[in-house]
Amino acid sequence: MSRREEILTVINKVPALPTIAVEIQNMLRNEDVDFRMLAEKIKYDPGLTANILNLANSAYFGFMRPVNSIADAIVLMGTKRVYELIVAESIAPIILRSVKGYVLSPGQLWQHSVAVAVASEQLVKKVGIRAPEYVFTAGLLHNVGKIVLGTFVEIEAEPILKLAAKDDISFDEAEQAVLGIDHAEVGSILLKKWHLPEHFVEVARYHHIPDKKPKDNILVDLVHAADALVMMAGIGIGADELHYRVDQSVMDRLGINKTVAEIVIADTMESLENLTQLFKKQ
Amino acid sequence: MATQFSQAPLTIGIGDMKVSYDTADILITYSLGSCIGLTLYDPVVKVGGMVHTMLPLSKQDPEKAKKNPYMYTDTGIQNLIQELFNLGATRRNLIAKVAGGARLLDEKGLFRIGERNYTVLRKVLWKNDILISAEDVGESKSRTMILYMDSGKTVIRSGGVEVEL
Repeated sequence: MSRREEILTVINKVPALPTIAVEIQNMLRNEDVDFRMLAEKIKYDPGLTANILNLANSAYFGFMRPVNSIADAIVLMGTKRVYELIVAESIAPIILRSVKGYVLSPGQLWQHSVAVAVASEQLVKKVGIRAPEYVFTAGLLHNVGKIVLGTFVEIEAEPILKLAAKDDISFDEAEQAVLGIDHAEVGSILLKKWHLPEHFVEVARYHHIPDKKPKDNILVDLVHAADALVMMAGIGIGADELHYRVDQSVMDRLGINKTVAEIVIADTMESLENLTQLFKKQ
Repeated sequence: MATQFSQAPLTIGIGDMKVSYDTADILITYSLGSCIGLTLYDPVVKVGGMVHTMLPLSKQDPEKAKKNPYMYTDTGIQNLIQELFNLGATRRNLIAKVAGGARLLDEKGLFRIGERNYTVLRKVLWKNDILISAEDVGESKSRTMILYMDSGKTVIRSGGVEVEL
């Protein structure tokens, strides 16, 4: 069995997403989903309800008035935003682990993921484009492949890094060379296995190589740019350090100049302080 | 291998600063990317400090800089210097060591945050008549910086290797 095949079989060991996340996603596929049905579903999970309300009342997601029930949250935030919070709550326990292969201590990958989610949303605001749906979730999920390679396969970063340092190639290119697969592709396979929508699968797959994406998907561009800014800020970076390429054409397409970049980094940092803690209250 | 500390070190977060006059203290900051880590140490009065700044110039958002001057390199470093003077450090004794200012691959003239951070740092130190005695900056590295208050020893950990600066 090749190293690649070996890794592909390990993907099956990663826990599945909780059924409620999958059920709600299926409900949302239906355009005229009744929010009361959605509220009904969540109501029977008291832990999830408490966590969603906690988030709905936070500085980042919150509103001027308190959100007291799931029905309230859905009316105020919309079904799609509530779905994003459910996905976040569902994957938090998986991403909060330590990721040995990339030398990330518990919570570091989570911090990076939340930072990229926030920065992606900040970018949308700052460059003034029409917000595509589920920006936050796209950012949050982009690096799940690291969980598979770093925690379940426990790859050794050293030979990969050696290659990356020697030939000035990026970490994901070095992963390809050493393992026959990189964390981006692994992540996309996992998201597919979790039955998550295709646009998230594409973000995971192409976030380091946005120009290779088969069709237009602005989420890929946004997450690529946000990931670059968050890496520069040094938030949750591991053994792979800053060994990644940044695609200038993405920045041009989105209209991200020096000023926008710096404002987004500063704003992300500010929002992040409370946000990562919030998800840890399980 | 990472050094095991005999006591919990004081952690400096991103956009954060700490000073110390306790020789038992160890100051540490993790994962400097394009950010700047600066240690200043006065070996005579044994006071020192560390700052971890993120963006070059505070004029980009004066409101934020007012709330947290350590987010920006210009205000962050000036504040650290002032804090140390307040603790009795003298300009001519201060030993300055620098880490960070890294970049992504292919980041040709893009935002150059790391490079500009470093330029601003040099300017502020120069204005204050403080020379850099050692540095580990640039490339695509992530660096952890450690300052031992008993000796002023500054260590950089990067790629699993520790080197005294």
